[in-house]
Amino acid sequence: MHVVIINGSPRVQKNSNTDKIIQSFGKGLQASGATYELYSLSNRQEWDAAREAFIGHDQIIFALPLFVECVPGIMLEFLESLPTERKNPAQMSFILHGGFDEGHQFRLCERFLQSLPVQFGCTYGGCLIQGGSFLIRFRDDEKMKETMAKKLDAYIKMGQSFVSEGNFMTEEARKFIGYEKNPWIVHLLFLLFIKRLVRKNFERFAQQWGCTRPLDDKPYLRTIIEQ
Amino acid sequence: MTSIVLNTLGKGLVTEQVIALIKGGELEVINTSDMKIAHCMGCNLCWLKTPGVCAIKDDYEGIIKKLVKAENLWLVSDTRFGFVDWRGKRVMDRIVPMLNMYVELRNGLERHELRYHSMNFGLLYKGQADQDFLEEWSRRVASNMAGQSLGVIKMKEGESCM
Repeated sequence: MHVVIINGSPRVQKNSNTDKIIQSFGKGLQASGATYELYSLSNRQEWDAAREAFIGHDQIIFALPLFVECVPGIMLEFLESLPTERKNPAQMSFILHGGFDEGHQFRLCERFLQSLPVQFGCTYGGCLIQGGSFLIRFRDDEKMKETMAKKLDAYIKMGQSFVSEGNFMTEEARKFIGYEKNPWIVHLLFLLFIKRLVRKNFERFAQQWGCTRPLDDKPYLRTIIEQ
Repeated sequence: MTSIVLNTLGKGLVTEQVIALIKGGELEVINTSDMKIAHCMGCNLCWLKTPGVCAIKDDYEGIIKKLVKAENLWLVSDTRFGFVDWRGKRVMDRIVPMLNMYVELRNGLERHELRYHSMNFGLLYKGQADQDFLEEWSRRVASNMAGQSLGVIKMKEGESCM
């Protein structure tokens, strides 16, 4: 099996969580004897080659972060540049991820992705979904590193499963997201404890980035008052 | 109720036609096709380094300054693949500085806090699209801004003006 993977994130490849997910998934593909080629839409110079690969191959996976309840604008722009008919059949599958961890956050985007392949003369190979990816980039203590290493390892397994099953239409892929909605106890813990912890983490990350203002600052409100 | 209308369809759309469809209140139409607006690059700087200020220096900063004073946001967009097209989605992806990094539970949903205030969202669209899908998208976008969906209205072809 040879897979064309297109990273639909606008974030530069070196900082892209989507890219890290793809690298792990790709390891799984290779471990099962498959090969892949990767294109990142954040780099405009790769668009022509990505389009050629989309046209010429039969296994295509778009990997993308959730942006404002659907596909990032940059990926929509790329999709619009693709031919809507093709000579040889192909399967389009998706790897969708985002910061929030509950399944319901992704369902509308998933519905959109389901509707796409037929509009390009392709079949739908399913959508692998997982949330909680914010910390892929921001991990600065051992516990976070361990959690995220586990998370990325799970994608290696899914790469192997993609080769053996041929798509993401499996029970294993369907369950990959975890909870559709967190149980009430998690919400309660969030309110009592996790929320404050998460805020502290965000503030620490901001400090590491050289942020000098509060995270809930209202810069343009000051402009209005000054007017 | 101040409404900002982001018209991504181009100059042909006459302001009066939008006003006729969006009833009531003070309203400002911004033609984004005349503006330099890049795609959000997902850099996180507006949440973690320069809170509320986008790292991309283009014409969208002027839009943010107006949104800070608005209660309603309307998007006027063409459609593709059953959804808003990339020009319409692009101006929505750049909304991120209106929220902040902190997470709260709002109506039982994990949501980012609003940086300024809640805002309602509505959509005027052109072309063949999935009305039901767009209504759900509009509700979800509004929910992210702690507001209500103002509705999803299909424009008659004549109203888009050539």
